[in-house]
Amino acid sequence: MSSSADFHNQRPRFRSFLDRFSTDSLVAPDPLTDRTLVAVIFILTFIAALTAGLVLFGSTASARWQALLSSEVTVQIRPQPGRNIETDLNRAADLLKQAQGVTKVRVYSYEETMRMLEPWLGQSSSLGGLSIPRLIAVEIDPQSPPDIPVISKQLARDIPGTAIDDHRSWTRRLTTLGNSLVIASAAGLILVMTATALAIVFATRGAMVGNREIVEVFYFMGADDRYIARVFQRHFFRLGLRGGILGACLALIVLVILRFIIAGSDGLRDMFGFGVLDPLSSVGFAIVVAVLAVALFVSLLASFVSRITVHSTLSRLV
Amino acid sequence: MQVHPNRWGGELVRFENVGLRYGAAPETLTDISFSILPQSFQFLTGASGSGKTTILRLILQSLKPTRGMISVFGQDTAQLDKDGLTALRRRMGIVFQDFRLLDHLTIYENVALPFKIRGRMESSYRAEVIELLKWIGLGDLLQAKPPVLSGGEKQRTSIARALVSQPELLLADEPTGNLDPVLAGRLLRLFVELNRSGTAILIATHDIGLMDQIKGSRRLVLHNHHLQVEG
Repeated sequence: MSSSADFHNQRPRFRSFLDRFSTDSLVAPDPLTDRTLVAVIFILTFIAALTAGLVLFGSTASARWQALLSSEVTVQIRPQPGRNIETDLNRAADLLKQAQGVTKVRVYSYEETMRMLEPWLGQSSSLGGLSIPRLIAVEIDPQSPPDIPVISKQLARDIPGTAIDDHRSWTRRLTTLGNSLVIASAAGLILVMTATALAIVFATRGAMVGNREIVEVFYFMGADDRYIARVFQRHFFRLGLRGGILGACLALIVLVILRFIIAGSDGLRDMFGFGVLDPLSSVGFAIVVAVLAVALFVSLLASFVSRITVHSTLSRLV
Repeated sequence: MQVHPNRWGGELVRFENVGLRYGAAPETLTDISFSILPQSFQFLTGASGSGKTTILRLILQSLKPTRGMISVFGQDTAQLDKDGLTALRRRMGIVFQDFRLLDHLTIYENVALPFKIRGRMESSYRAEVIELLKWIGLGDLLQAKPPVLSGGEKQRTSIARALVSQPELLLADEPTGNLDPVLAGRLLRLFVELNRSGTAILIATHDIGLMDQIKGSRRLVLHNHHLQVEG
């Protein structure tokens, strides 16, 4: 017996201080229920964390596409009877080069334009000198863009059949798509969190019914509602944290795999940009933080919901 | 273990014409009137199902009377709020018939539970708990858990948990119900010792032999929903 007493005597003072607030293990462990709840939280956190990561990833990719589109405009010149289109192209290119905010002008040659149309019109050799609209790609400075309506008016005045496409309709569609993605994902997150909260409510009620006699013992020994709520809150916070961390880890693994898939494919790399899912990039770091935040939030949600449930159940239980 | 003298000078418990019924059923307790004085020793007896545990629950306020007045430590329990009830329960100890030990905690942790609930630091009660466990003969079982204990050891643990916070009133529900006569006698002597230290004792039992071991003890006898005070 003295050994046991010595063991207790040797415990550091700060540990004793922590014991004052500790309600560890006062809820009888129920391995089957606890494991099931951890598994449910794990799955829900995985879905929520992956959704949060993909929202960030998607919105970043969408912003990148918008930035790419808004840094370029396309000038199209349709062939006009009695006019030399090559002269018109050079004249338009000169005018564009002089405009403030234009950084680069590139005229697509007849051959290049025909190559672009090959998927629809077939080999250019069989088409002979078909009159087709010609394109000028104009790179602009997104920080101080040129006055597109002014340029458009000037081109239309000097060169008939000219049209400028600043990709506004595409940018608008992308913005709409990005916003829809965020709203849909937020709704998904809310649903997942609601499901998590409901699972916690049922688990807490089950644990309270299973620990009914313990709760009654606590009461008779002078525990108040706050203490009993804290006991259960702490128990479910731990279970929530365990499930949350497992879910977040799996979500991060999936995102890392996604990163390697993107890095290994030229098409995907061009589309999404290499480095978006790199943990060392600012976006990649934000995704990691978001996924871990989801895990922490789920744990806090478990803790909060169990506390509310305990308070609402206590009066009916004892 | 030294038990402090009672702080309450008057009656610890007072029942006045207390009645209890469940729903529309006839009263299970009718016109119950009695009082428990500081440092007194009494048995609450009657046939099985006569309402002994119900009276203990009324004292503990886990049941509310249908009519009548109950005061505990001088406070009308009908006027108590939750905090008042918690404070009142902290002045009592309860020994359950079925022990109600927490099977996943050690004997030491079970007995220390009242202190833990009150937010006390372990260093402030550790020696006290160990001393009490040694006093009741469980000094070798500090780290054991209830499932490996015998009925008598569980009962003593339950009693130690009720006593550790030095209550002014100890309520025991059939504390010897699962024990052989020899062990029951030893536990009874433990209650007598506690009573001499200043704790008022109310033992609910239907064991006449047990009651006869305390000559001249006060008996609260439940019969036909009524209570009669003897001695």
